[in-house]
Amino acid sequence: MRLLASLAAAILALVAAAGAASSTGSSVLVVLEPELDKRKFSTFFGGLEKRGYELTFRAPRDATPLVIEDDVPKFSNVIVFAPSTKSFAPDLLPQSLVNLLSHNVNAIFTLSTAQTPLTSLASEFSLIIPPPHTPLISHFPKRSLPPTTIPITPPTSHSILTSNLPPILFKGIPHALGTNPFLVPILKAPEESFATDSDSDSGADALVDAADKGGEGLWAGSSMGVVTGFQAHGGARALWVGGVDVFSDEFAKTEVSKGVKSGNAVFCQDIAKWAFQESLVLRIDSTTHNHVNVTHDADNVPTQYTTNDMITYTTYISKWDPESRRWTPYSGINDLQLEFTMLDPHIRTALPAVRGTPGKYEVTFRAPDRHGVFKFVVDYKRKGWTHLHSAITVPVVPPRHDGYPRFLSAAWPYYAGAISTSVGFVLFSALWLAGDAVSEKARGKKKLE
Amino acid sequence: MAGPKTPAQAPSAVESLWTSYTENTPSRLKLIDSFLVFIMLSGIMQFLYCILVTNYPFNAFLSGFGSTVGQFVLTASLRSQVNPQNKEQFKEVSPERAFADFALGSIVLHFFVFNFLG
Repeated sequence: MRLLASLAAAILALVAAAGAASSTGSSVLVVLEPELDKRKFSTFFGGLEKRGYELTFRAPRDATPLVIEDDVPKFSNVIVFAPSTKSFAPDLLPQSLVNLLSHNVNAIFTLSTAQTPLTSLASEFSLIIPPPHTPLISHFPKRSLPPTTIPITPPTSHSILTSNLPPILFKGIPHALGTNPFLVPILKAPEESFATDSDSDSGADALVDAADKGGEGLWAGSSMGVVTGFQAHGGARALWVGGVDVFSDEFAKTEVSKGVKSGNAVFCQDIAKWAFQESLVLRIDSTTHNHVNVTHDADNVPTQYTTNDMITYTTYISKWDPESRRWTPYSGINDLQLEFTMLDPHIRTALPAVRGTPGKYEVTFRAPDRHGVFKFVVDYKRKGWTHLHSAITVPVVPPRHDGYPRFLSAAWPYYAGAISTSVGFVLFSALWLAGDAVSEKARGKKKLE
Repeated sequence: MAGPKTPAQAPSAVESLWTSYTENTPSRLKLIDSFLVFIMLSGIMQFLYCILVTNYPFNAFLSGFGSTVGQFVLTASLRSQVNPQNKEQFKEVSPERAFADFALGSIVLHFFVFNFLG
């Protein structure tokens, strides 16, 4: 009995460890440039492997293993730690990497002060990169580290990062965020930082130029991003990090203040979790619609509605739970909207979660007074979360000739008038003919007399 | 100036009209007249409802009002054909024939009315 139980436990553990915590897959291709040593990033890679990812290492110029072959991606996730590589193998060129994202392959990109093909790729993601060889520098807070190594305090509450992380050490370049709504800012540069073309302060031409122009043209301030995410259409996520040293063991071990280690280890795992689609991943399980007070049955969905019908729309939404590695129903969305659209949304109403049934969102509304072909549209795009989109087309027809109310309550005086006239006519005729009969009798009597 | 009490006021035109009507009209014609008054009141009420409250649904108004107007016209023609004082004008129309015409016309009218009433 004991043996069986332990055997079952062993099998379960094996099964659990087999898959990673990611909702899309556990295979990771790490493109590591030869100048970087894999062992210097053991904290980061070890943390990934502990969570079930299988890492495959490759140099940028290597021909194998191919990341995509015959338009079929071979890995679910890609990490590109090649910040100063100027030439890549053909399947790692920027266009190929963008193609990967449309195949739902997640990617982490790291940049550096050198100008590489990745720099031009970044602008495809609406990130504006500073001129080459202008690293981020900050002289505050006072520290023993060089000015290019900057402790950045992460936001106290962020949907992607764990709260109250200690400051994160960063070394690299900033970037300016464009207006693309799919960008997810994760870590911004500190307010007193700026990018300049010298590792130390002396000989900083960029500073001098900007000072001449009254501060114009200097890359500075907290509107610059340092770690930014991008949520692509198909669900794939890309992460842009301004420098590869954020992931290094050295930064993870350094103390930012007395006795407080930097938050790099936890931070790197957090952003990898988001990038590899473990956290903040949603999915629409199913949607149904039907007349109100009719139980929703997947096979019994009406093929059409009549105008002014009361319609109930239900959707079931799950969130990926990385700990238990499965999709669990999620009722935490409180701003979900349903649109009933024909060219323009005729109805736009909130889809609240139903108490008592996790993951179920339901709303009842009246179909508009217009007939036509409408769509139930759920379009949920929030920064950091997977985009939810569902569109169901349904015709709405005008009432049949016998679908209108038979008697109108506004017309009862006319009904009463017409009926009273008819009744009056019948009564009158009856009385008239009775009068005729009486006078006949009287005349008959008279004749007799 | 004191004098004998003024004689009773001469009856007003309306009073004398009413007295003359009640005394001189045969009861058959009074039956017709009461029906006519009823129809007229019904028509007036429907018309006032249409103007003051709503003319929705208009087809119902037309049919109800038309019913009263049509019935009024038919009953008025019956009255003039049956009135003994008009015997000279309606030589070839006996009272029975007049009533038959009236009944047939009314039935056709009510058929159209209920069709259009909706």
